[in-house]
Amino acid sequence: MDVKEIVVISGKGGTGKTTLTASLIPYLENTVVADCDVDAPDLHILLHPRLTRTREFIGTKKATIFSEKCCGCGNCINHCQFIAISPAFIVNHLKCEGCGVCELVCPIEAVSLHDVVVGNIYEGETPYGPMIHAKLVPGEETSGKLVSEVRNRAREVAIERGCSNVLIDGSPGIGCNVISSITGASIVLIVTEPTLSGLHDLKRVMDISERFSGKTYVVINKYDLSLDLSEQIEQESNRRGHSVILRFPFHKNIVKAVTEKNIPSLSEKKLFEKARWEDFLRKISDGVKV
Amino acid sequence: MMKIAVLSGKGGTGKTTVSNNLAALNSDAILLDCDVEEPNSHIFMNPRIKGDEDVAKDYPVIDEEKCVHCGECARFCHYNAIISGPSATITMKEICHSCRGCALVCQHDAITYKQREIGKIYSGTSRFGTELVYGELKTGELSGVPIINKIREMTGEEHSILIDSPPGTACSTVAAVEDCDYALIVTEPTPFGVSDMKMVVEMLRTMKIPFSVIINKAWLGDREVYDYCREENLEILGEIPFDRDIAEAYSTGKLIVECDPKYEDIFQSLWNKIHFIGERIHGC
Repeated sequence: MDVKEIVVISGKGGTGKTTLTASLIPYLENTVVADCDVDAPDLHILLHPRLTRTREFIGTKKATIFSEKCCGCGNCINHCQFIAISPAFIVNHLKCEGCGVCELVCPIEAVSLHDVVVGNIYEGETPYGPMIHAKLVPGEETSGKLVSEVRNRAREVAIERGCSNVLIDGSPGIGCNVISSITGASIVLIVTEPTLSGLHDLKRVMDISERFSGKTYVVINKYDLSLDLSEQIEQESNRRGHSVILRFPFHKNIVKAVTEKNIPSLSEKKLFEKARWEDFLRKISDGVKV
Repeated sequence: MMKIAVLSGKGGTGKTTVSNNLAALNSDAILLDCDVEEPNSHIFMNPRIKGDEDVAKDYPVIDEEKCVHCGECARFCHYNAIISGPSATITMKEICHSCRGCALVCQHDAITYKQREIGKIYSGTSRFGTELVYGELKTGELSGVPIINKIREMTGEEHSILIDSPPGTACSTVAAVEDCDYALIVTEPTPFGVSDMKMVVEMLRTMKIPFSVIINKAWLGDREVYDYCREENLEILGEIPFDRDIAEAYSTGKLIVECDPKYEDIFQSLWNKIHFIGERIHGC
């Protein structure tokens, strides 16, 4: 069965990715939800999944130098491109990228590489279907690998359970974790805000979305903070052939809903109706069908 | 002088707001925008750019004349950036970490390295007189860490350094925060702000960097962040109230200290507190 992936990203952080993802989920049928913002996962706070499975994810290797064996030749220090080994032959695990060069150049096998758990993956059930999320061990690299793992697992669960969609909450930025979350997806929803930073970041994230995935739609959150910048966002989106399919006003009740750990589209139905939420949902379901 | 990282975990809580307003009031400090995926400080600081520099990364090139497709390089590569078949050996430069291990294992001297540009670093003087250095990752590139490392190498010890860090707690944040004397966590009083801040606290404790907390958009959400700071014994250095006028001014690239003189007092007092803490840390 063909599983369609809808990914919510933003470029700039704090524009409302998680709020939008949580608001969408009760309105999408047959959907598995995946939180791929692995170094700041928040969706579970609103969806309250009942966890059914937790497992560790080994995503990298790190080197250790055994001081009792080390002859102090310095080969490892000289060859390490990440400047991860101190003059006292101690490996800085935050800098080590697990390339294995130190192990290779050590003449007396005083270095070994070991597997490192970079995060935990959680599977659970929400009232709206299955949910997968993960948490990166703070400070770890390879967040892109963890994102791919969450996304692959969500797709597997979708196939097992006969779900036709996977809804993915992505990360801010444009780096490996974002690229891993959108590559090959059916629809990318970019949530932006009418600020100069929002517009600047939107252009960069659109470059990525155009290059790595299918259809791109734009959502302008807090559109009434600057009607002028909202207009500029609209023009930029149209120029690139992407439609703005939702304009949502700034409203303290949305913050209140999140603070009370409620799904905003359920607790603030009137606000959503006024913002033409139904039209937005229809455009997404039409987009998924194409 | 002090090296201060401004970070948050959650995006959009006000890292750029805090670092830029502090920098605007202190023209002898240097502001480093290390959020190279989405740098925004230049939007607020409007620097007159004095120079730019390419940041390049090594990638392996296989000499087809010498390569015997033995597959040693592909077996060694921990990132699966080399694929070797019976009659072809292919390298994927985007996922290469530039460790140079493949050339070390090659018995046929068939691997050399070329460089490709992954981004740029710009420096200039802002409209407030403060120096700004910022990096920009090329779109489509996977990691900004080499750019961040280079920005961090460019500054000496004679000025206070303010670092606008990337969101999250992954490797680029570690690179931005590494070796700092002190960190400011900018959070907001929402469950998301608190949850993401906890990951930052864990990271900073692992890195043994002292820190305190600034609460932005104060009074917009609830009290959970205050309870958490009390339980964990975290110092709240200051609060920036939520104000729709600030949000509207921000949207057009204005700093808070330009909106209302009372905010100048808030940021000046923050800076004084930071320096007091700096003296405590350096023991002088």
